[in-house]
Amino acid sequence: MNSHELFLVHTGEVIEEGGLTLGQLCHACDVHAEWVISLVEESIIEPQGETIQCWRFSGPSLGRVRAALRLQRDLGVNLAGIALALDLLEEIENLRLQMHVAERG
Amino acid sequence: MMEYKDYYKIMGLAREASQDDIKRSYRKLARKYHPDVSKEADAEAKFKELGEAYEVLKDPEKRAAYDQLGANWKAGQDFRPPPNWAEGFEFSGGGFTSGDAGAFSDFFEQLFGKAGFHTSGKAQSGGPARGQDSHAKIHIDLEDSFLGATRGITLSAPEMDAQGHVQVKHRTLNIKIPKGIKEGQHIRLTGQGHSGEGGGKTGDLFLEIAFNKHPFYRVSEADIYLDLPVSPWEAALGTKIKVPTPEGSVDLKIPPNSKQGSKLRLKGRGLPGQAPGDLYVVLQITLPSAETEKAKAAYQKLQQELDFNPRKSLGV
Repeated sequence: MNSHELFLVHTGEVIEEGGLTLGQLCHACDVHAEWVISLVEESIIEPQGETIQCWRFSGPSLGRVRAALRLQRDLGVNLAGIALALDLLEEIENLRLQMHVAERG
Repeated sequence: MMEYKDYYKIMGLAREASQDDIKRSYRKLARKYHPDVSKEADAEAKFKELGEAYEVLKDPEKRAAYDQLGANWKAGQDFRPPPNWAEGFEFSGGGFTSGDAGAFSDFFEQLFGKAGFHTSGKAQSGGPARGQDSHAKIHIDLEDSFLGATRGITLSAPEMDAQGHVQVKHRTLNIKIPKGIKEGQHIRLTGQGHSGEGGGKTGDLFLEIAFNKHPFYRVSEADIYLDLPVSPWEAALGTKIKVPTPEGSVDLKIPPNSKQGSKLRLKGRGLPGQAPGDLYVVLQITLPSAETEKAKAAYQKLQQELDFNPRKSLGV
């Protein structure tokens, strides 16, 4: 790395609500569209837009797709199980936040 | 020098374990240590170790070869494979089924090679192919989102060199943290992912934002919560007090007769943005201790003056 690169500041673009198309999401996660569609059918991620061509996905759904991929690959969880696991994990995270507060109180 | 790895010990199994035992034990430990599920501090390292152990033990060919090293090795002992140790064993294909095989130990590589180093799995037909997108999670302070910031982050990724050796490459990028970014949002850096093949475009880098735990603020979406200790008389009589916000302290009016846990909203004092969040102050009524005579006398006075039964609703 040369000194020029050391001082180079990269300005990225924030993926806003409805920022990714189905194709972009698939490429970002290295998965097939069919699989993403099945995640939508299971309500694991919820795109904006009526038809598949119009679907737009938010930044957090990118995180959920990747977590779903890991759960399926590493633990052999099926789609219904992934949906349940992700919902429960979110709930635990919220409870932990509250507990963290209660402990300090 | 490399260390011997006791794959049976990692999986909590005896050397005689059946293939079914191995599968069951893997499932159980994988649920325990999976980084998405587990909150144990070393979950990621444990999970990688487990994946490597399972990769060997689940495959009868690899397991038999590993067993042939003998049972007298101790985990962590300096290890050099005996000459021709795997002679007569045939490994069918790379056999790396788990994802991040690039991160397997030197010990594993020495024994089983790195034939199956995980690449994108995309067609390698020679035509231009766009490079893979890569991902990283970065932790920032709440203040970084408030004010906007530039942060240097170091990314590591396993890469294969021309000789086929897997090496972990580090690179540092200075990233602009946009004002008002929320937890779970992603920043896309075009062209900072894996390089393409055959003249294909370089992939993108996605950075997922997470906040470091703050000593007193909690963040939920764009809203910020602050537990604010108040004295019983401040809550009862009402007052004006100073409250910290990430942008500096502000005056807050506590209405008389405020209850424990009351939420007071400071509109627009949450994370900045097109629709800025709010800051919620949650009152925590804090009792002074009755250690001194003076304090005791004050409490006794309250007791005499007020006809107060906090357990009225319980019917006693």
